[in-house]
Amino acid sequence: MAKAEARVWRWFALPGVFWLLLFVLVPTYAVLAVAMGRVDFLSQPVPAWSPIAWNTGYVSQAFSGALPGGEYWPAVRNTLVYVGASMLLCFAIGYPVAYYVARHAGRTKKLLLVLLVIPFWVSYLLRMLAWIGLLSPDGYVNQLLTSIGIAHPPDWLNGNAYSVILALCYGYIPYFILPVFAGLDRIDRSQIEAARDLGCTPFRAFWHVTLPLSRPSVLAGSALIVLPMFGDYYTNDLISASPRTNMLGNEINLFMQEGPEKYVGASLVLVLMAILMVGMAYYLYQTARDARRFA
Amino acid sequence: MSAVIEKRPDTELAAIGGGGAPGLRSRLSNPWGKPRFLVATTWLYIAWALLPVLLAILFSFNAGRSRSVWQGFSTRWWWGDPVQSIFHDPDYTSALLQSLRLAALDMVIATPLGVLLALGLARWRGRGAGSANLLMLIPLVTPELVMAVSLLLVFTQITIVPFSLVHLGTTAQIVGQVTFSLSYVVVIVRSRLASIGKEYEEAARDLGATRWGALRLVLLPLLLPAILASMLIVFALSIDDFVVTQYMSGGYSTITIPMYLYANARGGATTPALNALATILVVATLIGIGAAYLLYSVLSRRTSTADPTALVELSLQA
Amino acid sequence: MTQVAGGEIEIRGLTKRFEEALAVDSIDVSIRAGEFFSLLGPSGCGKTTTLRMIAGFERPTSGQIVLDHVDVAQVPPHRRNVHTVFQSYALFPHKNVFDNIAFGLHRQRVAKAEVRQRVNEAIELVELGGLAKRRPNQLSGGQQQRVALARALVLRPAVLLLDEPLGALDAKIRKQLRLELKALQEEVGITFVFVTHDQEEALSMSDRVAVMNLGRIEQIGTPAEVYEDPATVFVADFLGVSNLMDAEAVGPAADHCFVRIGDFHLRAGCGQLDARGQVKIVARPERLELRPGDAGGENCLPGMVERTVYVGSTLQVLIRLPTGANLQASFVNNGGRHGYSQGTPVQVHIPAEALRVLHPGAAGSTAPEASAPEQELVGAG
Repeated sequence: MAKAEARVWRWFALPGVFWLLLFVLVPTYAVLAVAMGRVDFLSQPVPAWSPIAWNTGYVSQAFSGALPGGEYWPAVRNTLVYVGASMLLCFAIGYPVAYYVARHAGRTKKLLLVLLVIPFWVSYLLRMLAWIGLLSPDGYVNQLLTSIGIAHPPDWLNGNAYSVILALCYGYIPYFILPVFAGLDRIDRSQIEAARDLGCTPFRAFWHVTLPLSRPSVLAGSALIVLPMFGDYYTNDLISASPRTNMLGNEINLFMQEGPEKYVGASLVLVLMAILMVGMAYYLYQTARDARRFA
Repeated sequence: MSAVIEKRPDTELAAIGGGGAPGLRSRLSNPWGKPRFLVATTWLYIAWALLPVLLAILFSFNAGRSRSVWQGFSTRWWWGDPVQSIFHDPDYTSALLQSLRLAALDMVIATPLGVLLALGLARWRGRGAGSANLLMLIPLVTPELVMAVSLLLVFTQITIVPFSLVHLGTTAQIVGQVTFSLSYVVVIVRSRLASIGKEYEEAARDLGATRWGALRLVLLPLLLPAILASMLIVFALSIDDFVVTQYMSGGYSTITIPMYLYANARGGATTPALNALATILVVATLIGIGAAYLLYSVLSRRTSTADPTALVELSLQA
Repeated sequence: MTQVAGGEIEIRGLTKRFEEALAVDSIDVSIRAGEFFSLLGPSGCGKTTTLRMIAGFERPTSGQIVLDHVDVAQVPPHRRNVHTVFQSYALFPHKNVFDNIAFGLHRQRVAKAEVRQRVNEAIELVELGGLAKRRPNQLSGGQQQRVALARALVLRPAVLLLDEPLGALDAKIRKQLRLELKALQEEVGITFVFVTHDQEEALSMSDRVAVMNLGRIEQIGTPAEVYEDPATVFVADFLGVSNLMDAEAVGPAADHCFVRIGDFHLRAGCGQLDARGQVKIVARPERLELRPGDAGGENCLPGMVERTVYVGSTLQVLIRLPTGANLQASFVNNGGRHGYSQGTPVQVHIPAEALRVLHPGAAGSTAPEASAPEQELVGAG
């Protein structure tokens, strides 16, 4: 009886699964098919639906182009550098904030939480728009800089890598802070008290107990922001608009939106996925290890 | 009784207790004191995170044409200017309408589909359950660009039904939005389902209800807060969505607010009406989220409305 | 393990006020070196707050905590020679048993060889041999508790603080651990300050007990003193069944006091014998004698058996008095049959020296009126 009943539930999932098969699985295969396909006389891509007909030419071109020296290497390098740098920034700023709100905020905790959640839901584009206004040549940032004596403030919005890194950090940091906050909040207060009891100063208690125990949530927060950052192209377009600071996402976007060479775009998507797989593997490995340690 | 109590020298005591003055070292080792550095960092971060947004909103009320220099207060960009204010300029109103249209359709399609999927996945036993679950998770872990590219390819390269029926445009935009919204609905509803558990349905069946009756009369009402909350979250996600919506767009009439913002953010010719448009976006989203949170916490009566941990949970699940 | 002499605690006028409430209200306690001292009381009585102030996790609003002649009230916890066993054990999940125990020694920069020796000694002391490499989540509750003990004891504190350490364990293990903890304390010889709400624990393990209520100390004494000679209604009622009754004290005789309950006059031989007017009287269930319904005598109250409860080692008899009050008598199960079936009329004899008079509102007690023994059919046994 229970078995027949259990089987009924799967039919509930049917429409949703069907939708996902149609619009997630098939499209993923389509990317492969186009990347492994050919080009017709009009230079339009001809997808190769059967694996037998697959042509690895474009894909290997894309992968070799992504290596140092290749034509896509600058974009890949930029991506790795910008994502890495803004990740570090997010950690440097976000961890102390999450720590303070989780463990020391007391009466203001509720208010702070609401304030932390708000940027999470403010449109990414508005936040970038705000910075374009602030960083424009006549904007407040430059006004401030000139008022303290810097005669020629830098041009922030044209091919400036630092702007891009800062913008990425600004855009994604709320997504980092919340999971880290949740993890820090969860740490049992008596663990830290035990450390103090056994001879730790507040700092050492943090170092030996809080920090290790918060590692899984830092990892989760990092994964949460690194994944979308790798596919980001709009931040660069908005803040820098210069091919000098192009990320891998910009390259893909160029090929997909503007030219007929969609197969190059598709191949680059595969390159992107390959890079992500490495990150995902590391993340899954660490999570499994931590699960065993902390249970 | 013991006579003399040895007192530590006052300076040392003061240093330890942090009673009032001395150096950083004593502050750091005062176990009951608040770490000043952290307080400052936190409030500075909050200011950094929110002030630019507030400024941008403020600039939508700028009397002049600049989006970076304040020239006085005015509502011309909102409704004052008969040509260029957002409610008069056809570009803006078109974008606004398209955003609302997509959000409404996304809500209406993704929510029921997602609830069914959540129920099915949560209670599916047997082969296929793991793969179905994995399938549902894929949109959550792939960058939006990848999803957008893949959908673009199927709608332009595949010549068989059903894909050939969909051309780039509103339909494609909806399909794309529903596809990623589904996973969010599933995650939210499923977690609520887990905390409800099976007991209530079992009690209903014990008292004579059929399986469907138990579902309709007991489970769905209990699930209602999560369903409504996820619906509002889908609204918020849809209104704010950029990448998929842009890739799936088909022409002038399919431009949404985020797309318009993106196209015009760097232009020298745009007016603070752009900021006004963005403000609408923000207000709509925050109302949606605020309502989702209120509904969720009040209806499920788990926390008082003043407790924002439900808000954090909701945001984290999304 | 050789111990540093000391561990004497003097608490004077200790007060802790939180925003909403006064948790500890100016208490004075003297704890002798090497003593097993318990703080006993219901939830919210301030015992845990007091313990945390001794440990250093709460800062007193006012008052002194003098440890071996040094006032430590303003000293941070990591500098006091006092260590705590937490209610949830608070073992570090990311370290194994050995590293957990060694944690405090590493903070003191003890040499590696000595660390190893002392940790192994501690492991032997709490009988956890062979489990040094395990992680906390692989241990049972009782084992985790021993790790928590070892972790604190290895540092040779002058005082060990225990915050309801047995609360999370099964009844049987709890009873066993009580004996072990007591034996451990005697072996190690340091002062233990033990917080609990379980009076059985406090009575069975302590050298002295402080009964607390609403931030104040009701009474301090040996287990026998607080049980046999409760100073206030609260103490009488909190420890075991008290058979608390309202009465009117009408006058002393030589070394006792006459009290009137309804139409009955009884002679009370202990307690606050100079009380007058409305008082409370207390008689422990094991001191009551039951006589057949028609027999009379001095200090007898007539009643009817309402119910008997067989608990295994004891038999508890609930008697309803004509005044409406209930009395509980308890007898050791000696294997014989008894004649106390429901409805039997009996005479309850309360020996004068077992009948205690107490001021009704003594020491701010909030013992509910007529604590029906029905709700307390747990014998003190």
